[in-house]
Amino acid sequence: MTEVRVWLALLAALPACVILASYLPLHVEKLRRLTVASAVAMVAVTSLVFVRPPLQGMELRTPSDWGLLGDHLYLRVDELSSALLPFAALLWALTVSVTPRSALDRAGLARTSVATLLTTACFLTVSSPVLVLVWIGSVGVFLRGMYGPERRHARRVASAYLGVSSAFLAGGVALTAWPNGDSAVLESAGTWLIVVAALIRKGVFPFHAWVPEVFDRGRLGPAVLFSAPQLGTYVAVILVVPRASDRMLETIVVLALLTSVYGALLALAQSDARRACGYLFVSQSALVMAGLGPASEEALTGALVLWLSSGLAFAGLCRCTLVLEARRGRLDLRRHHGGYEHMPILAATFLITGLACSGFPGTLGFIGEELLIDGAVEMFPILGYGVVLAGALTGLGILRMYFSLFCGRRARSPRIRILPREAWTFSALAAVLVVTGLVPQPLVTSRQKAGREILIARTPQSRGDLFFYSTERPDGGLQSRVPTFSMNEPAMPGPGIPPRIPTRRNPPGVEIPR
Amino acid sequence: MIGDGLFRALILASVSTPLLLLFALGIPSLASRPLREPLVGRLVRLAMAIVFLANSTAFVAHVVSGSPGQLISFGVGFALPMGALGFDFLVDSMSLAFGALSALLCGIVAAFSDRYLHRDPGFNRYFILFATFVLGIELVALAGSVEVLIAGWEFLGLSSALLVGFFHDRRAPVVNALRVFAVYRVGDVAMLSAAVLLHHTAGSGSLLMLFSASASESTVLPAGRATLIALLLIVAVAGKSALLPFSGWLPRAMEGPTPSSAVYYGALSIHAGCFLLLRAGPVLEQSTLARALAALVGFATALYATMSARVQSDVKSTLAYGALTHVGLIVLEIALGLYTLAFLHIVGHACFRLMQFLTAPNVMHDLHELVESRPGAAFPGRWIPPRFHSRLYLFALERGFLDSLIDRFVVGPFQALAGVLDRVDRALCSGGREVAGVAIGESRDD
Repeated sequence: MTEVRVWLALLAALPACVILASYLPLHVEKLRRLTVASAVAMVAVTSLVFVRPPLQGMELRTPSDWGLLGDHLYLRVDELSSALLPFAALLWALTVSVTPRSALDRAGLARTSVATLLTTACFLTVSSPVLVLVWIGSVGVFLRGMYGPERRHARRVASAYLGVSSAFLAGGVALTAWPNGDSAVLESAGTWLIVVAALIRKGVFPFHAWVPEVFDRGRLGPAVLFSAPQLGTYVAVILVVPRASDRMLETIVVLALLTSVYGALLALAQSDARRACGYLFVSQSALVMAGLGPASEEALTGALVLWLSSGLAFAGLCRCTLVLEARRGRLDLRRHHGGYEHMPILAATFLITGLACSGFPGTLGFIGEELLIDGAVEMFPILGYGVVLAGALTGLGILRMYFSLFCGRRARSPRIRILPREAWTFSALAAVLVVTGLVPQPLVTSRQKAGREILIARTPQSRGDLFFYSTERPDGGLQSRVPTFSMNEPAMPGPGIPPRIPTRRNPPGVEIPR
Repeated sequence: MIGDGLFRALILASVSTPLLLLFALGIPSLASRPLREPLVGRLVRLAMAIVFLANSTAFVAHVVSGSPGQLISFGVGFALPMGALGFDFLVDSMSLAFGALSALLCGIVAAFSDRYLHRDPGFNRYFILFATFVLGIELVALAGSVEVLIAGWEFLGLSSALLVGFFHDRRAPVVNALRVFAVYRVGDVAMLSAAVLLHHTAGSGSLLMLFSASASESTVLPAGRATLIALLLIVAVAGKSALLPFSGWLPRAMEGPTPSSAVYYGALSIHAGCFLLLRAGPVLEQSTLARALAALVGFATALYATMSARVQSDVKSTLAYGALTHVGLIVLEIALGLYTLAFLHIVGHACFRLMQFLTAPNVMHDLHELVESRPGAAFPGRWIPPRFHSRLYLFALERGFLDSLIDRFVVGPFQALAGVLDRVDRALCSGGREVAGVAIGESRDD
């Protein structure tokens, strides 16, 4: 238990250290170095989940003598969070390593630390009240970063949408946890509110309009750090999938499939790089939601893989755009800006991250999309092909951006070369996406286990466990959110487990042990 | 009789060597330390020699052994209880022959390119893309599972587009590269959809089962599904091989360096679609409608290309349309079930056209002018009634008006739709005050 507490303390201390240092009269570059070191250390610390088994399955509860809040499970590390924690740390490291000097200030670095702390807290909890607090906190940090009169409009739009989503989430949680009355109706209404909150936060059609606006007129860096972890997906996975009806999940998937095509289509048509990034996020984010259907383990696994790959790839793509913007100003996609010769690494990273977003072979995105396509077509034999179409349109949009931003007449100014820290960061990111794409087995197995836990949680006997875990806890020992299972054991029967439908990877007549 | 282990080693060498070459050239570039020209040249030649030797040895061994086609699996990219993504390779005489042919032609082009692009600023970039191409074509040739086929297919498309835009300091190659890639993406959508549909119908990812030449081994699909899959495959092939109505990108692709034009649009990439259709013969045979369509598309493409080739004013476009004429004929042969003839046609034509492309710059240099000094001189005027002659000539000169038709009926509506949607989104955020137009596809002067 000591090891667990040390590990948790480190997770909190690393960002906290940066927050405290931001109040000291340190030069901003020194503070950046400290932040980068903290972020890299956090990547290492969070990755310990993979190599130290005691960390997985860890749960913390409030003391039982706390009255109404007593014995409440507020923190746990499970298969789902095991990969999400390093993911959040990687996003932080990427952000602080390549943020241009012109956009760097002490408050900004402190905000990245707070945002990462909140994201980490979100991925560590399954408690709905804690999720609401973290959700509101992250919105607050994001809106606080959008200062200045030129961003007033974007801030107003984001406040409206995200304010409504926060209110819906809080309302939904309150309704679903309501102890009296007609619980079925209240629970259904509450779950719908949570669904809408998640859809707004993820920019799924018809709640998407704020995303391109914020990317375009707000601050791109904070917008990326706010969007890329996709807390909306986490909330959907934890609070919606286990208790939602099949019809509800199918509605989410249909909206998500439409949005993925819609976002990719509009990204292709934009004349401004920031706005194109916004629509790309809309499309990528929706693709992840498209895997949350009721009946496909394959699609869910694909979605969980895509969550990581598209988050990293999309963040990398936007960071490349920001680095370019810092040297050239706003990037008009109707022009060819040139400059490949001066920054081939940036161009290569832009292409690799973009192609990873489009599910190109050799990147992690390919693995996620392959799984997602199969599952989506299994659920929706016609609409499922939207994943294919979205991938194709995204690829085309990426290549258009690449040609516009890096090709054309040669730029002669030597000042546009990128810095070593940027080069190293982008090279490392490209390497992560390619290596995990070529050797995906460990990550995919982990996501498949997480996906199965989520689907098992949809079984009626486990649904009651999913909201306020503490009420179901029989004794003082550790209790898993879902029934314990082993990958070597046969599948638990139950209505939540999808039937074995012959699919691409699941030929008829071949019994594959679950 | 060759041992199974040695077979595996040869196939592994065929596909892993280009991948290693890609890393060997790409990683130093990513680290801002690109390799020097002589080293790049030596590495590429070595890699091509290994790929060719591995493929040709495997081909000879397979023919000598007389064994039927088999799948060689290299484990899985990932294994899940619901299935696996497999690195499977189909070993039969056709795949090994095409693999060996590809390696041989790529080796020739690599040696040629080493001198042709000497001291070019994009020398390293060219060979990185070339390695991607070799990897793609070897994967397509030897693919034993749909995932491998799709991976190869997409590697071909991306490297092709980036090589069309190789001289990227000029605007025209970049614009044309995007256009080429857009057509490829249409083909990719069709290809991926066909693959997903095929597997959901047949329940197998093995190309041995699906594309086997033996009727007893091939999977009989429901008639409607077979037709749909075959039609999707024809669309995919049409995109990659520039068949009608996608032929418009072919002259645009000539913007790339001559060696890449030779290997892509003279020799290999343009035949990759034909090769796929050839492999998919058993599926095609299950649908009369699809076969008829393939025959029609092949014949129409051959007719269109031969007319266009006769009025081109530059040698690369003339050669490209000449190649397209034969590609159309090959598709016609496949639709008629003449598989052996089609395969021999692919092999012979690829070699011949590659030689033509590679010698074209020398000939031009020697003559100090364009080879075809009188465009249109070869137009078949005698066989065409006079009143149609000028119209047909214009049709050929304008390359069948394909580009303008696509602009009008595909690009235009797409831009209009995207513009409307974008305006709605902006209006939603501005409370209807701002309805800023977007000039989609508009291009500012560089």
